[in-house]
Amino acid sequence: MNKQHKVLIANRGEIAVRIIQACVKLGLDFVCVHTAEDACSGHVALAREIGGEKSLYRISSYHDANELLSVADESGATAVHPGYGFFAEDFRFARRVTERERPLVFLGPSWRVIRDLGDKINTKRLARSLGVPTVPGSDRPIYDELEAEKIARSLFDFQMQQGIARPLVLVKASAGGGGMGIEEVYDIDMFRQVYRRIRNYAMRQFKDEGVLIEQRIKDFNHLEVQVLSDRTGRHPVHFGTRNCSIQSTGRQKRLEVAPGFDPSSIKYDFDAAALLDEIVMHSLNMARKVGYDSVGTWEWIVTRDGQPFLMEVNTRIQVENGVSAAISRVKGKEVDLIAEQIRTGLGDPLGYTQDDITFNGVGVEYRIIAEDPDNGFSPWVGDITRFSWDEHEWCRVHTHVPPATPEHPYTIPTEFDPNLALAIIWGKDLAEVTAHGLAFLDTLRLEGHDGKGEPLKSNVEFLKKKTERMLRF
Amino acid sequence: MMEWEKQLHQLADRLCYLKDIFPGKHEEDIALLETRLNDTRRKLETCSAEEAQAEMTSLEDLFFFMECKLEDKLTPMDKVRIVRHPHRICLRDILENVYDNYTEIGGQGEHTNDPAMVIARAYITRKRHGKVYHQPVLVMGHEKGHGEEFRNGGSAKPWGNAKAKHYMGVAETEGIPIHAYVFTPGGYPLEDYPGAAQQIARNIYEMAGLTVPLIAVFSEGGSGGAEAISLADKRLMFSHGYYSVISPEGAAAIEGHLRGGARASADLVERCARDLHLTAEDNLKFGYIDKIIQEPVLGARPYHYEFFRTIRQEVIRATDEVVLSARGLAPLRAATLRRFRDRELNLDEFSVRWDLSRKARQRLVEMRQNKFIKASHRECQNRRSIMGRLGDAWSEQWWEIYNRLIYDFYHRNRRTFSNLLEEIGSEWEMLKLRAMKPWNRLHGKTEEPAGNTEELTTLSEWEEDNHSGWAWVSPKAREDRAVSCPYSAQRGCMDMWAPDLYNEFAGVCSSCGHHFPMEYQWIMNNCFDANSLYEFNTEVEAGNPLHFPGFDEKIAEAKRKTGLKSGCITFEARLDGVQVVVAILVGSFRGGSVGVAEGSKFVAAADRARRKRYPFIVYCHGTAGIRIQEGTHGVIQMPRCTVAVRRYIESGGLYLVLYDTKSYGGPVASFLGCAFYQFAIRSSDIGFAGPGVIKNTTGIDIPPDHHNCYKALSRGHIQGVWDRRDVRANLRQALETMGGRNLYYR
Repeated sequence: MNKQHKVLIANRGEIAVRIIQACVKLGLDFVCVHTAEDACSGHVALAREIGGEKSLYRISSYHDANELLSVADESGATAVHPGYGFFAEDFRFARRVTERERPLVFLGPSWRVIRDLGDKINTKRLARSLGVPTVPGSDRPIYDELEAEKIARSLFDFQMQQGIARPLVLVKASAGGGGMGIEEVYDIDMFRQVYRRIRNYAMRQFKDEGVLIEQRIKDFNHLEVQVLSDRTGRHPVHFGTRNCSIQSTGRQKRLEVAPGFDPSSIKYDFDAAALLDEIVMHSLNMARKVGYDSVGTWEWIVTRDGQPFLMEVNTRIQVENGVSAAISRVKGKEVDLIAEQIRTGLGDPLGYTQDDITFNGVGVEYRIIAEDPDNGFSPWVGDITRFSWDEHEWCRVHTHVPPATPEHPYTIPTEFDPNLALAIIWGKDLAEVTAHGLAFLDTLRLEGHDGKGEPLKSNVEFLKKKTERMLRF
Repeated sequence: MMEWEKQLHQLADRLCYLKDIFPGKHEEDIALLETRLNDTRRKLETCSAEEAQAEMTSLEDLFFFMECKLEDKLTPMDKVRIVRHPHRICLRDILENVYDNYTEIGGQGEHTNDPAMVIARAYITRKRHGKVYHQPVLVMGHEKGHGEEFRNGGSAKPWGNAKAKHYMGVAETEGIPIHAYVFTPGGYPLEDYPGAAQQIARNIYEMAGLTVPLIAVFSEGGSGGAEAISLADKRLMFSHGYYSVISPEGAAAIEGHLRGGARASADLVERCARDLHLTAEDNLKFGYIDKIIQEPVLGARPYHYEFFRTIRQEVIRATDEVVLSARGLAPLRAATLRRFRDRELNLDEFSVRWDLSRKARQRLVEMRQNKFIKASHRECQNRRSIMGRLGDAWSEQWWEIYNRLIYDFYHRNRRTFSNLLEEIGSEWEMLKLRAMKPWNRLHGKTEEPAGNTEELTTLSEWEEDNHSGWAWVSPKAREDRAVSCPYSAQRGCMDMWAPDLYNEFAGVCSSCGHHFPMEYQWIMNNCFDANSLYEFNTEVEAGNPLHFPGFDEKIAEAKRKTGLKSGCITFEARLDGVQVVVAILVGSFRGGSVGVAEGSKFVAAADRARRKRYPFIVYCHGTAGIRIQEGTHGVIQMPRCTVAVRRYIESGGLYLVLYDTKSYGGPVASFLGCAFYQFAIRSSDIGFAGPGVIKNTTGIDIPPDHHNCYKALSRGHIQGVWDRRDVRANLRQALETMGGRNLYYR
């Protein structure tokens, strides 16, 4: 790898901290950005400590591509790491970065891959063309009312055949996303009405009448396959599976476990080991087919009776990458997926195959957040006066929150997501990791108060409660 | 002394008039007259009656001599000043002196919606064999009212023109001829309802098919305002009048690149007036007027009673000629007309009935339409070879015959035939079903299951189109730079990268939808089927028919810069398989201005669409108006193209106009604005005159969104505002749902 590269870290908080650490590990120079609100964030302090003032630029928004790129030009950066969120899955940003007059390396998949896998219809059709199971229903926008009704009718029949007591069909605008223009139908007689409503909505909102009709799957577990490939895109490897079923009411992940199921200690209604192998195989097949050339996550849902369906592909590093790394060893050594992403992204070959990757134990990631789980997970805002934990060799905490004391509290910025820290706990089996996790949470000290003097609220109790139920359906 | 006072006063008036129309010119002659007038005035106080008589006669002779001398030296700009002078005859003088009886019906004096437009019912009384005939006519025209302020100088407001159109309809219903007198410096350029451009367009469209004789008389023919009432069977013109695309001052401001109300020098204005070729002689030579009515020396004033008698004879003659040429049997017609040309004939003692049969009305309209279609034909530079033209003529004929055969004969009968077959077919099916019933029951055939679960989980057939993006991409998309939305301050839009904005986003701000202007090629190449474009009439070139100084270079420069030969591209294309004829007005070729070449191509395209029964789509990428350097050759394209459009629409086609960027002036106020289906891309500004011209002519500061396409939509000018990315789909929809019954695919 060419050590002359300089990486622009176009992100903030915890992921920026970990990218800095990865750069240091790889011996690469880096440059960090921050907004005025983030001046006290841990990533700024770390950047200053390691790279000095010249590695820090203040910008007005993490969303402004022009600003980021002028920082890159000014500081002489040669590569951009988008982290997660912001520009991570924006194929236009990736394209601009690589096709501008002074091109930079985009530390993520090539923009074509981001574009193609970011399109849910395209992804579903690609999956079906490779025999990868997808949610039953249409795989192209439907424009004809009669055809739509026919599909809905056969979806109801299909679910009845499978013995689903309350079959549900989902009608969604094919051009939509983020939960807009989606509606459930539980009775075929209601279908036409709903179909027309969604079609009209789609026409108004997206100027495209196309509608997707799918089975609505209720009772399921959310699994992921962690994939990594170098720039050749020919030999993707996986770092196991994760189970991310424990989420907030707003479908935000709170606790992730790797591997995805644990058939050695829990009894499932299906062959869990075979299922995990199956989704890993399908994910790698797809990665090979599209020439996937970075880290990425294949998201799956698995029903109670053990049927997997591909949901989507996340073409970025994910928050929970650390939990997969915690159970993986490459040629017996620890692995840092962010460092691997940067290393291969800059053109290094992977240097190992799937056979060199071994798995050991169970990992859990807790997302420690100042919020009120009893009140719809509403975020809590205020000052942190104490945030500490006991160090263990089975525990690693990633945070951008600087050491806080009652004299020097840390104010949570309201502009960004309220994530405070990620704790990754390892144990040799499920029982041990559960014990470690509870021990960690019990000794975690997180204190503070808001403007009215009310004490800090966090999801620690919620996480404790959920720890006991990990990996169970 | 007292007895001469009146005459002296009149001579003093004449002197003032001379000073007014020759500012800073012929000073010696005028000074001489002034000295002589003053001398005479002094002498008259003392001298005898005989001497006074002689003195006065000699003074009057001198005045007349001088006026005749100056008459010979009149320049075009002097004529413009004559026409504008408050002493010039106005419509009221004509109503008083030319007609035998009149009643103002479009309001009274200042109590009307627009005092600049006067409508009256008038009579012309003629005797024949001692019998008296009262012939009613509808008189309309601009009223300058000798400088009365509320008349607005004869500049009709949109609602004034609407009033004129309304009374044209009245005349048509009552079957009486219309005499229209043009005394306008131009239309009042405000876009308040119904909108200057829109209303003039409607008027021109109305006149293109009006079934009563229409005689127009020009005194001051200021561009669009004049066209609003002058698409006539006969156009007469006063010898000292002018008919022009723009005022000489306006032309000078453009030629001198003046901005912000700076005034052009008198010399430049004078030169522009000459170069615009705006006099009656010029326009007679071009063929845009039919006859000149000779005025008295230095222009007609209210006391020139002989002149009113001349006007009367000429308008009667013109009306008679029009009526006769439309009526009766051809040989008879010719004989009558021949007799008629005899100038000595006193038309007051000769009566021609002015009502027309249905057939004659049709012929009248046809003749009027042909007259305007042919106008400016000679000026068109067509580099097509003789053989090519012969081929075109042959193919035109062929299409005519082919369509007759296919649509009028084959399709009509086929429908009857296929209906019959269908009925027989369904009877047969019923019979078969009944006969097979016992058999089916025996074999227990059941209906197929409704759904197939296979297709719910496997890949379906889908021919995805348009995945690779736009076929044509603007060269602006090659620059590595960020572009800010002009609304970013109000709407918080993020800057966009030019390659994204001008390629994938089609020039539309991704957060607020603001449309950046794009090149004409975008619509041309992205909205029709790939490789389906066939351009025709490529040999027609924009030229310099008036030999306007310095314009040859400018037009050559425009050709070089755009790679086009004129500002109008006409081609055939397919839209999802449907054949269409398209004309594009290219905003980057001399501002998209329309001259003879553009008009001719437009007319040819409309004609082609009519023959082939194709829809006719006009994409107005942008137009600044009529090309002023072509003078009336340009102006005449307004009625000419509108006639072509009306012919096309009445043949049962679909005429659709799509605006983009800035569309102003004559084209919008005629052949574009008259379309039943007008749409605008969100980036459009539509109007009659741009903000600068409005400020200069009316002194009003308009709000920045005055011409915005949403304003035009609210006013009812256009039918919809389109997103640029939807143009293709919307055109497709329009082809299916709009237009007349005679389209080939219906």
